[in-house]
Amino acid sequence: MAGEVLIVAEQIHGVIAKVTLELLGEGRKLADKLGSPLSCFILGHNMDSQIQRVIEAGADKIYIADHPELAEYKTLPYRRVILDELDTWKTPPHTLLMGSTTTGRDLAPRIAAYFQTGLTADTIELDIGPYEHKAGTDKSKIGYFPECLYANRPSFGESLKARILGPWKDPQMATIRPGVFQLPAKVEKDQASVEIKKIAVNLKEEDFRVKIAKILREESTKVDISEADVIVAGGFGLGSQEGFKLLEELASCFNNAVVGASRKAVDVGWISYPYQVGQTGKTVRPKLYIACGISGALQHRVGMQKSDCIIAINKDPDAPIFSFATHGIVGDIYQVIPEMIKQVKALNRQTVSV
Amino acid sequence: MSSNFNNKDLNIYVLIKQVPDTRSKAGVNADGTIDRAKAGKMLNPFDAFAMEAALNAKAMGGPNSRITAVTMGPPPAVDILYQALGHGIDNTCILSDRKLAASDTLATAYALSMTLKYLFKRDGNPDLVFCGLQTTDGDTAQVGPEICERLDLTQVTYVEDFKIENNIVHARKVIEGGAMEVEAQLPALLTVANSYKKLKFKTLRGAKFVQEVKRSEKLQKEFLEVVDLAQVGADDAQCGLAGSPTIVSMTWKIGTVGGNCKMHQGKSALELVSEVLSAESNLVKEFLKV
Repeated sequence: MAGEVLIVAEQIHGVIAKVTLELLGEGRKLADKLGSPLSCFILGHNMDSQIQRVIEAGADKIYIADHPELAEYKTLPYRRVILDELDTWKTPPHTLLMGSTTTGRDLAPRIAAYFQTGLTADTIELDIGPYEHKAGTDKSKIGYFPECLYANRPSFGESLKARILGPWKDPQMATIRPGVFQLPAKVEKDQASVEIKKIAVNLKEEDFRVKIAKILREESTKVDISEADVIVAGGFGLGSQEGFKLLEELASCFNNAVVGASRKAVDVGWISYPYQVGQTGKTVRPKLYIACGISGALQHRVGMQKSDCIIAINKDPDAPIFSFATHGIVGDIYQVIPEMIKQVKALNRQTVSV
Repeated sequence: MSSNFNNKDLNIYVLIKQVPDTRSKAGVNADGTIDRAKAGKMLNPFDAFAMEAALNAKAMGGPNSRITAVTMGPPPAVDILYQALGHGIDNTCILSDRKLAASDTLATAYALSMTLKYLFKRDGNPDLVFCGLQTTDGDTAQVGPEICERLDLTQVTYVEDFKIENNIVHARKVIEGGAMEVEAQLPALLTVANSYKKLKFKTLRGAKFVQEVKRSEKLQKEFLEVVDLAQVGADDAQCGLAGSPTIVSMTWKIGTVGGNCKMHQGKSALELVSEVLSAESNLVKEFLKV
């Protein structure tokens, strides 16, 4: 029988993160296909109040590690507790999932490297299915595998989606961005039917090589583009950092509006990472998305295609964004956006005078 | 000046990678796929921040601190090592071997770990290893932490700023919903976010030096080391396709979802914008700031 489907929970200030609940929802489907239990590791301090939320999201088994040193996420103590516990298992988990957050991307590769297993980053779809490996330089890989974790993600800068799998070794691992999966409907379940196990915490001196000096949470929480109604996003086509000033001016005409950016604009340093939309940034669903100088590569598209209305402005008539936007304007950002600001401001005056 | 930080001589490494250049249209096929042979190449943008971090770390270390840039890739990837030398990196090393083809992150981390081990053994124990947060072609951010697991280095990811004082790294890193300041013991591996300082321009001296190295085999031997898997003592079975626990089993094209994009035909910016705004006037008015 296939091993468990394990979600390693993430928590901030003792509250289970939304991405963990989303993964439990998706993990439930995988576990049902495998006929395996859906399990969740909770690491933290005084986390008992969170057990009910994890049960309602569908978990069959909960493993809980409680220790003051686990209150805030730290690479080595978390690594120690998870690996110590998994090393005692006779059958490793079939699947191990974590959020593709700053935490998941810090910890999941440690677990993967320890078990020397595969890890697919920033997955956008998961499933269980068969795979037959027929030929290859390595004969030991040949075989038929009825139950593989399928992890689909866009391939680099291309309009291709790739299915990545690695059935040769469990756990088969993947990280998934927050917002990719829906929050699951509440599962009615008796707490007594859920197996809750305490995990031993035996930290070693070498696990304390990194000390937390200070946590600064309030200051960067101002930017949450995933909650905005209107996003004015810029891409590499803006040509310079100055372009974002123009986008900010347009955004300032709307309520609950922010600027966003494609990965290329973030990579070159025109705007910081919290504004990034796409597979490796935020997944957003605003009412109005104005894409300026964004080509619409798949990696961007998966993060914004569920927007209610997309207005795309690009000087390249063949840009892929014109295949899925609501409105397309082929033109120069530096002519179109100032004109849009002018007309939107004029609309505003009309609205006020009415 | 460096004595202000009260650090020993620091032995610093920076891991860099050559990636396809997607800023230009070269090598991009009509269907959106990429022809890697035709596409231009560039230094992974994140690695420019890692290089700047390594140079700043060296300035904080003792007078005999040094930096070695390490890459893995086909022979033409030495281009980015020349780039590193131009920016003032002291030494460079490329791991190049046909058996490395089709490496996933685990196999890449193994090969790079073995290369680092080989360099540590010869040149002394490391104090700092810098990596870019992630590459723009793989986007995984996994190789840095996987190397930490193999080499047991202190791990700090998403570093936005740091200083080293009394041989302790004081770093500010991105966390969910904010930032965290940590104090990390050496030897440490730091993955550097693109909110760190931008890489300074090459100096004239650096540019001249690169020209000298390009002309002189003797200087190439000294500053541009080429190694293969056998030299670094790596096990072939853990490298390349054989050492990769994952494969791409299939790829498929994404059709044009929707495909109902209304392309506006106005003759001027004024007409185009007015067409779009009148088509969406209700939506626009709903969120208009009054």
